[in-house]
Amino acid sequence: MPGGLQTNKKSHLPGNSLMFEKVIPALLILMGILTIALILFAAGVLLGIVHF
Amino acid sequence: MSINQILPFFSTAIMLGFTVYVLQRYWVRRAPHFLFWGIGLAMFGAGSFAEAYLSLSWNRWIFFAWYLFGAALNAAWIGHGTLTLLVRKTWVHIVTVILVAGSLFAGYLMLQVMPKLDETVFTTSKPVSEQYGTKVLAAGETAPADAQTATITDNGRQVTVIKGLLPLGSPVRLTTPFFNIYGLLTLVGGAIWSAYLFWRKRVLPNRVIGNVLIAAGALLIGSASTLTRLGYGQFLYIGELLCAILMFTGFRFAARPQPDEVAQPVTVAAG
Repeated sequence: MPGGLQTNKKSHLPGNSLMFEKVIPALLILMGILTIALILFAAGVLLGIVHF
Repeated sequence: MSINQILPFFSTAIMLGFTVYVLQRYWVRRAPHFLFWGIGLAMFGAGSFAEAYLSLSWNRWIFFAWYLFGAALNAAWIGHGTLTLLVRKTWVHIVTVILVAGSLFAGYLMLQVMPKLDETVFTTSKPVSEQYGTKVLAAGETAPADAQTATITDNGRQVTVIKGLLPLGSPVRLTTPFFNIYGLLTLVGGAIWSAYLFWRKRVLPNRVIGNVLIAAGALLIGSASTLTRLGYGQFLYIGELLCAILMFTGFRFAARPQPDEVAQPVTVAAG
């Protein structure tokens, strides 16, 4: 016989939240792009393309 | 004493607290990622302290600590902690060996260059990150008014250089991009990836936000360091302080107990 309640200990993201629906995804994309740009810059230094 | 001479001391204090917080967790839980994070954060703190010290006075061994721990190694060690947490595969142990060996090799190269440091170019009027490297002036390029220049022979040709603390072509400088690329990939990439996974599963908002803050802090110092190398050194110290605050806050945020528990009806088999 099925029955009973089990508490799911994981809290969930709030629904219809501007922060989690728009701001966080935009930040993740922006930071991903910036990371790639910085890695390319460091690689440019390593390969002698960028001088400083 | 200017604000730029005070800020690194605040960064150092925050990183010291952060390091103790993480190493305490390692002491209790014995999870290796806490150890790598703790070592990397201690290196970051040492680098911040060295920067603060070098904004007031010169000491060659403080410069040694600044370059090796602050400029070269810290991001790679913190990032390796993230990799150890996210990837439970045998090859991570091989990467650990490479990281340790590479760090020792970088330390050896740094020791080799110590007798060749040009201390005459040192000034407390600008960040050490703006004066450590010797740079070849390109044709038509003019040196800043306060820079010391020299004409030297490099690979058989006469070149004009802006003198820096480290001589031109120091091998230790070639190691730095490797560590920093690895650090960026694993520290920032790992934090972004973790945040994305929790966000996609719609769970643990504190870990989503915590990882976003960690990634933002690491990117901030990465960007400030890059801007410094491009001649905009005025953002470095505030970037370092904001990085320390964001990363510590992010870590505390991600590690804190869940704010609420969601009770969901789940069908369980009766015993």
